[in-house]
Amino acid sequence: MTQSTETAPLEPDAVEDEALSQIVDAMWSSYFGHVEPMLPAFEPHDIEGPVLCASVGISGARPGLVSVVVEKAGAAPLAGALLQEDEGLTDEDVYDALGEIANIVGGNVKALVPDAGALGLPGIVAAQPLPSSAARQAARLDANWQGHWLTFVVWLAAPAQAVAGHVKHTSTDTGQED
Amino acid sequence: MRALVVDDSRAMRKIIAGALRKLGYETVEAADGALALAALQEGPLPDLATVDWNMPVMDGLTFVTQVRANREYRAMTMMMVTTEAEHGQIVRALAAGAHEYLIKPFTPEALEEKLALLGLLPEVAGA
Repeated sequence: MTQSTETAPLEPDAVEDEALSQIVDAMWSSYFGHVEPMLPAFEPHDIEGPVLCASVGISGARPGLVSVVVEKAGAAPLAGALLQEDEGLTDEDVYDALGEIANIVGGNVKALVPDAGALGLPGIVAAQPLPSSAARQAARLDANWQGHWLTFVVWLAAPAQAVAGHVKHTSTDTGQED
Repeated sequence: MRALVVDDSRAMRKIIAGALRKLGYETVEAADGALALAALQEGPLPDLATVDWNMPVMDGLTFVTQVRANREYRAMTMMMVTTEAEHGQIVRALAAGAHEYLIKPFTPEALEEKLALLGLLPEVAGA
């Protein structure tokens, strides 16, 4: 047998869609209460076209990545809403605002992850996020604000117990001893 | 009253400083712990420092520890304002010398409540 991750036992995640949604709601009501609400999508919506992505890493027993992906055209209005400044925003202001959004969501996600280590500093790229191959998507929230799509997504490495069980299973299948 | 707002995010410095000014504070800002220490050395000593945890150059926990090691800064109250939400992190910060802890995201009302608990609401806020 050659099954790998597809057959690995998966435990319920510490961070699920509902928890992520609550964190994003709290962030939004705290800092974006003065603008029109963000509308969650009922189905996943993959953003097409140029994006900006802010991510923070989580170290620890289950390392992960928390990202907010925004349509590039929506990034400046979003930053302007956070800063309550409509004009004169620089690219650095936009990156800073997106990074802080990722930082706030990431910090609160980290609090839900058992044996989490440190929260990394935000990184900004003009591309979709690229989690490590060991991570799998734990939670996701797609939403629309002022006609622009945003995606909040959490990746976490599989629980150590599940990974260990999978490794042993595979070794047995290949006739090797652990 | 005077507050030093320490956070690497300009957006967050603006949010915190704006909320403090509405409560009657004068504010100065620093983008990391090292710059905040420099601001303290330059003086005057603020009544309050709000301190982010995760920052480049010098993080907030190191800043709090270094401030607490200096007797000249004892009169200043330090409040961590951070996304670090785990109980263990809160205990670490308080053990290092922070007086209060506010988790992001927070509302202006939550900040005001913390300051009231610390007895650090300027009189203008209650007028």
